[in-house]
Amino acid sequence: MSLQDNEKEMEKDKENKNTNEILADALADKSSRRSFIKNLSIGAAAASATLVTGCVPGADAAVSGEMRLRWQEFFKKNYRLMTEEEKEQTVSRLERLAALKDGLELQIGSEPPLPKVLYGYAFNITRCEGFMECVTACIKENNLDRKTHTQYIRIFEMEPGQLDPSTGDGKYFHEVPVENKFYMGTQCFHCENAPCTKACPTKATWREPDGIVVVDYDWCIGCRYCQAACPYFGRRFNWGKAEIPKEEITTKQHYLGNRLRPMGKMEKCTFCIQRTRKGRLPACVEACPTGSRVFGNLLDPDSEIRYVLKHKKVFRMKEELGTEPKFWYFID
Amino acid sequence: MNFGENKREGNKRTTMKTLMNGMARWLWGSFLLIPALLLVCVGTGAASEKKPFLDTIKSVDAPFDSRSVQQVQPVPQPTVVAKEEYQGGQFRVLARKEQIERHKCSNCHGEKEVKGKNAFTLTHGNVVVQHGREGSELACIDCHHPQDRDALEDKKGRKIDFDHSYQLCGQCHFRQKRDWLGGAHGKRVSYWAGERIIFNCTTCHDPHAPRFAKRFPATYSVPLN
Amino acid sequence: MSAHTNRNVRTFIIDVFRWNLRGGIGFQLFRLLLLGCMAMGIYAYSFQARFGLSVTGMNDIISWGFYISNFTFLVGVAAAAVMLILPAYVFHDPNFHRVVIIGEGVAVGALVMCLSFIVVDLGGPLQAWHLIPGIGIFNFPSSILAWDVLVLNGYLLLNALVPAYILYSHYMGRKANEKLYRPFVFLSIFWAFSIHMVTAFLYQGLPARPFWNNPLLGPRFLASAFAAGPALIALILAVIHNFTSYKIDRSVFNKLRLIIVISAIINLLMLFSEIFKEFYFPTHHSSAAVYLFFGMDGHDSLVPWIWTSVCVNLAATLVLAFNPGKNNPKVLLPACVFLFVAIWMEKGIGLIVPGLIPSPLGEIVDYLPTWVELTVTLGIFALGITVVSWLIRAALIIEERYEH
Repeated sequence: MSLQDNEKEMEKDKENKNTNEILADALADKSSRRSFIKNLSIGAAAASATLVTGCVPGADAAVSGEMRLRWQEFFKKNYRLMTEEEKEQTVSRLERLAALKDGLELQIGSEPPLPKVLYGYAFNITRCEGFMECVTACIKENNLDRKTHTQYIRIFEMEPGQLDPSTGDGKYFHEVPVENKFYMGTQCFHCENAPCTKACPTKATWREPDGIVVVDYDWCIGCRYCQAACPYFGRRFNWGKAEIPKEEITTKQHYLGNRLRPMGKMEKCTFCIQRTRKGRLPACVEACPTGSRVFGNLLDPDSEIRYVLKHKKVFRMKEELGTEPKFWYFID
Repeated sequence: MNFGENKREGNKRTTMKTLMNGMARWLWGSFLLIPALLLVCVGTGAASEKKPFLDTIKSVDAPFDSRSVQQVQPVPQPTVVAKEEYQGGQFRVLARKEQIERHKCSNCHGEKEVKGKNAFTLTHGNVVVQHGREGSELACIDCHHPQDRDALEDKKGRKIDFDHSYQLCGQCHFRQKRDWLGGAHGKRVSYWAGERIIFNCTTCHDPHAPRFAKRFPATYSVPLN
Repeated sequence: MSAHTNRNVRTFIIDVFRWNLRGGIGFQLFRLLLLGCMAMGIYAYSFQARFGLSVTGMNDIISWGFYISNFTFLVGVAAAAVMLILPAYVFHDPNFHRVVIIGEGVAVGALVMCLSFIVVDLGGPLQAWHLIPGIGIFNFPSSILAWDVLVLNGYLLLNALVPAYILYSHYMGRKANEKLYRPFVFLSIFWAFSIHMVTAFLYQGLPARPFWNNPLLGPRFLASAFAAGPALIALILAVIHNFTSYKIDRSVFNKLRLIIVISAIINLLMLFSEIFKEFYFPTHHSSAAVYLFFGMDGHDSLVPWIWTSVCVNLAATLVLAFNPGKNNPKVLLPACVFLFVAIWMEKGIGLIVPGLIPSPLGEIVDYLPTWVELTVTLGIFALGITVVSWLIRAALIIEERYEH
């Protein structure tokens, strides 16, 4: 018991360390105001940093450039209405802004959906052993907020005899697998008949032709009606500014995927759109040590996902709601 | 202030009556909105009922050329063409031989018997066999070829390559092998598209102790408040 | 009457400001207090603007909290103006005709508060222009929230323009042309029902939330609104009656009492029906109600809240129904206060928060608004009261002049 507690504490400490260190460093070195400012901007208060960069000689041009980019970003269209050219422009603006503001070198893509592809996902509840490698891979890949421990994937430790995750334990932290328990993962199920997209008042979230339900982070107004409409707890909100250590940021991004989300916007699992549209597997599937996660093209009769649907006993969560999730659970 | 006492008898009743009448009339009026909303709801509801989603998927049987996805890169790990086929035909598996620390085995295990002080403990002492029923675990030569150490041998006496160990594992674990061939067991390497390259049995499972060891999860979920 | 010749729209607006800026020391203190509250609200909101909604008590499970609770309740208060409009314009009740303008003022104030609550609840208020059709994209008719934006703004417009026209006519010393405004009055009656039904549909249409996904929600919204709204209006009328020279006929109070009692009884009946359904044979879908009324897994922060509300509601309804003081305002007015507060408790936090608990994955957390939420809410209430008092003060002065 004490071992578990210790490990938990250690984890927590590790996560707190980054911001603490930055703050401590900044406070210790008061003589150098600029390094203080620099540290701050890396840390929590990015907003104030933009104000102070004006004091740095020679940065005026950069600031006015930044202001122009921000202005153009503010008045851009919904992603779905953009022409290819406009998509290119906004993506390059976002890259430049990230370089100006945080010194990040990002590669933001805007890959369109692949033809004749409809993504589907299957989860083997016999095989999953609750190691949660998928969760850490997802956090890393999708640049999730480390401060509030945002997680798209939840793993529930389930008692035999029940299949509803609400009866399971989603907060376990002990050696796994435990005898006579099984593990069940949830995430956004990318419903064909998604209640969230129907609810959104500004069409900031929609189903892409390849079946992925995405959010245009810059078009979202943050009303959270989609979050109330989701029967699977598949959506997350940026309650504050996301905090990700700079060296851990995944730089290969997609406009609709893992790019850094502004504060006050909705976000969700995108089946790792930045990877899947290049033929790669989502990070969770690639990280799974037990092969419990199957991902593929539902419109390919030879795909693994179609094999699972054809040969395995599958079920979907809350099927009675008619949301048609593209996420099946199956049993060996 | 005194707004109490009712002067006229029956005032209460008539007020109530007119009020209720009025309410009823205007409630009916307000139903103008309801049909409009209803139309919308029924419209969208009916549209979603039209074609069951699963039927749409299952009706697609035209082959999809997953090699048409341009961005797929060759995987860095060495692979070999599998000696069996899956529903889409030929596929590849991750090669095993180079992963084995002391391959080739025939470097030591030649014609002559290996002699040396503690030779077994020094070279293979780390191998703990936890494969098979407890108390009657498998012996080395249940899988390893008794003469040719560079190969495995199944129960029919066929020589099996280390890269194709699924042929050996599948003789007992035939259900898993069937799932593995189809794609319900194991996993693909990095890409869902492109040529099918999948993990070998031994990529995930230690053949000497195939069950995954118990360990702490990689992270945990925090309560929200 | 002849002095009216030099009046126009400009003097109308100037006069409205003039009347509202003048007043006794008590009135000025009242104004100052409201201004202070609004300043506090703005100060609290500045934290939210800087650090996002993380400074509120909300999280991914309880994604709507105090703001949306108040919004939902106040839509009902706005809709309740119809209970004055209906007798005044449709049945030509002369006493109601004198107070209908006050009801409309309350509706405007309530709507201003509703819209403010929505704005402060938004994660990206700067992106709110995305909602404007033409410039942005309006997901109509699919999104019920889009419907709600439409009906709320429409109702605000109706309730501001019709009284403005009538008041302006009276200000100019002429009778308002009834043929001109009558269609809009009828429209606003129909609209009042629709704002509250649509707001109910906002919740009712979510299969993800069984606590809300209940066909009784819309009718119950109306019933509770027509109890709480007139209760508030009765209180405001009593204040006006006592503190101004504008006297309200006692029959108005009697009729309001009747409206309140009928609505409150229907509301309680529906509440009982809901409770019966949830607890006679509790299903998976009853867990939100179980959480609300009895607590779950050691989380029971709403249990005292809801039981207080139900008891106070019951007691106030009984007092109003049996009228023990024989129309004594010292009995009836406190009963109105209690009824109003009880419905606010039940239809605000008591409706919104348990709808989100337990989460679809069965997780239970408690919700407590932070000081930011409370202060911003206070500021918005102050704003609403300011709007109402400005409108009513101007209206009463014009009406009194016109009557003489």
